[in-house]
Amino acid sequence: MTNEILLQLLAAFLFTMGMLVVLMRRDTIMILMGIELLLNAANLSMVAFSKAHQMLDGQMQVFFVITIAAAESAIGLSILVNLYRNFGSIKTQSATTLKG
Amino acid sequence: MSPVLIILAVLSALLAVTMLFAKSPITSALCLLGVLIMTAGMYGMIGEHLVATIQLVVYAGAIMVLFIFSIMLLNLNNEETDYKDRPLVFGAALALGALAFAGFGVAIWNHFQAGDVVVKGKFSPELIQTLGGNTKVLSHSLFTQFYVSFEVISLALLVAVVGAVVLAKRKFD
Repeated sequence: MTNEILLQLLAAFLFTMGMLVVLMRRDTIMILMGIELLLNAANLSMVAFSKAHQMLDGQMQVFFVITIAAAESAIGLSILVNLYRNFGSIKTQSATTLKG
Repeated sequence: MSPVLIILAVLSALLAVTMLFAKSPITSALCLLGVLIMTAGMYGMIGEHLVATIQLVVYAGAIMVLFIFSIMLLNLNNEETDYKDRPLVFGAALALGALAFAGFGVAIWNHFQAGDVVVKGKFSPELIQTLGGNTKVLSHSLFTQFYVSFEVISLALLVAVVGAVVLAKRKFD
């Protein structure tokens, strides 16, 4: 039983760290990496719960989450390349075209 | 609780903290790679071999290569405007993180205090062993019960490939 508590606590900790990375860092690429960490923490929690409750649904969900994460990072990084081409920087404060 | 699992958990927590506070993006990317590999190891330790392999191949392999490749392509330096020059925002973010972690901790504590109220599914380790192992059972489920989702997700990947090519190509003059 203690294995599950350890994995759930670790998933919560990784989720918090990912949230802080998304909140605190200014690089767009760091924000994307924070999102990957968030997805990874959610995956860990789902697999651990699914294993503990002797089901398969969590593992199947994780396949789809990993696929969506791959698609999301490909799109996000190409947006990032465009951002760098247009503004010369990928900091979030450099993209101020819509600022009044 | 196996000692290997504890070591993996502590290492991945440390790597996540390093990722948060590292200055250069490449250090953060390598720390994230470490976290993903440790997570794959933990999946393997609790007996989810197929998920561990996919985590290693797709996450730690493909996605992180994409990240490190674009860091090198854009030639990113260290952050000049650091979060540490605004201590109020920095402290507020850390406090928010601590609050969120406390909330998660209370939820986990409540869940495990409640005991065995959750009805367990039928896929016990013995049954999975009888049916031919974790990989076989999961693959069978993927291609029977979830095959519509499987097809839809392949379509989503195709759309993502086309979208990435359209976004990243040079503009026609």
